[in-house]
Amino acid sequence: MLKDVTLGQYFPGDTIVHRLDPRTKILLVVLYIVALFQAKWWVSYAIVIAVAGLSMALSHISVKNMFKGLKPMIFIICLTAVLNIFYTQGTPVLPGWIITWEGIERAIQMVLRIVLLITGTFLLTYTTSPIALTDGLELLMNPLKKIRVPVHEMTMMMSMALRFIPTLIEETDKIMSAQKARGADFENGSLVQRAKALLPILVPLFVSAFRRADELAVAMESRCYHGGEGRTRMKKLQFAANDILALVLGILFLAGMILLRVFGL
Amino acid sequence: MSIICFNEVHFTYPGSETETLKGINLNIEEGSFVAVLGHNGSGKSTLAKHMNSILVPDSGTVTVAGIDTADENRILDVRSTVGMVFQNPDNQIVANVVEEDVAFAPENLGIPSEEIRTRVDDALARVGMTEFARHAPHLLSGGQKQRVAIAGVIAMRPRIIVLDEPTAMLDPQGRREVVSTVEHLCRDTGITAVLITHHMDECVNADRLIVMSAGQIIADGKPSEVFSQVELMDKEGLTVPETVRLMYDLNSRGFSLPLGVTGMKDCAQFVKTALMN
Repeated sequence: MLKDVTLGQYFPGDTIVHRLDPRTKILLVVLYIVALFQAKWWVSYAIVIAVAGLSMALSHISVKNMFKGLKPMIFIICLTAVLNIFYTQGTPVLPGWIITWEGIERAIQMVLRIVLLITGTFLLTYTTSPIALTDGLELLMNPLKKIRVPVHEMTMMMSMALRFIPTLIEETDKIMSAQKARGADFENGSLVQRAKALLPILVPLFVSAFRRADELAVAMESRCYHGGEGRTRMKKLQFAANDILALVLGILFLAGMILLRVFGL
Repeated sequence: MSIICFNEVHFTYPGSETETLKGINLNIEEGSFVAVLGHNGSGKSTLAKHMNSILVPDSGTVTVAGIDTADENRILDVRSTVGMVFQNPDNQIVANVVEEDVAFAPENLGIPSEEIRTRVDDALARVGMTEFARHAPHLLSGGQKQRVAIAGVIAMRPRIIVLDEPTAMLDPQGRREVVSTVEHLCRDTGITAVLITHHMDECVNADRLIVMSAGQIIADGKPSEVFSQVELMDKEGLTVPETVRLMYDLNSRGFSLPLGVTGMKDCAQFVKTALMN
């Protein structure tokens, strides 16, 4: 069960999308999200779906992997759909019914919006290694250093967190097995009981996480880590022709979506 | 020439009653392979942590390549001279890709990108992990992870590498990988290696073996000399290599065999000659 976590997962590859500069990809995702929220009518949704589909095809990410990432969100998606179906005023589907045509339409659009939002952001993490991603973020946020935002520290923490996700998942699995061997029961009982049963997992996990953090800090200092000052990178990020092309296309896409919105499509 | 000098080093952990290091005097020669042996709580890890100024002595001095480790202005010089490898490989790997992790230390030192590239490739080749350069560290075996950690340290081009129980969490296969990597590094590149361990068999190929107990050095010399002090080793609860044990037991039954023999073949030869007579 824990092996399925796709958060921050990266699928290595060598496609055009993989090779784009991480900064380009981050900016593109921002453009994409803004564009997505311009969509008001079916034509514009169709265009966003086409763009997302095209990007997925270009990056060789299978639909299966994409849906695996959506799994944890199913509850939220269903809830949104149900709420929209029942709480939208308009013409009833059948006389006397609470469900309206407007409600169904809205529900589909909301679900599409959430799915497309997740798909777009997942495409970023699926095709960009965490290190490249945090490097890109650091460089993009560099101007903020002027107003004393600890950009380097923030991105370092992010990359550490991503680095330790698999390690901590493995650890959680081990602790769960150990507690099960001592007769702990995680599957039965009421919701409250099951939540309480998680405590014997969380406590050791936290204790060990703190110990790890301590050891990691000593190891990092031993390797001469002293903050972002004077640090160089092995792989310098560089914008290539493809990046400029991708950004221009992204901006055109957003402009197009705004136009469509103005014309009410 | 001595590259690491301990001079009357005393150290007590804050909040602790007993001294962890009780007046250590120690000189380590450049280019040698030194093993430090001792039980948990003998102070051997504390000793290691003094070598790259993670800890500084309460009294006495530690100098590394002529630099006082207590000099806060030169802490980076000390740490780039002495590379440290720790026990748990998971807790010292900082990146999601092997080569990015190896690049971490040179990046911190502000070395230009092209130079980092050559150092990383070189370091990975030295520990035999080149083919795993693009792999995710958490999918490697323990021995491989520890070799990545060693590569991450030698990418700094240190003159000394200190390994604090690098094999404690590994299986026998991983232990062999790590120890032979360290031996090769020391012999081929002339790097000074200090291996902290509690496995006797990892020390047999060392140039010098130091045994610690309760914050003091209780034996110091060539491994064969130290091992031949079987009574002392027994008193400390340390297991001597099986060959030495065999010779010792035979001696107690009237034979007179040399105790300093650690090689399996030599041992067999001696036993054979003794039995023939």
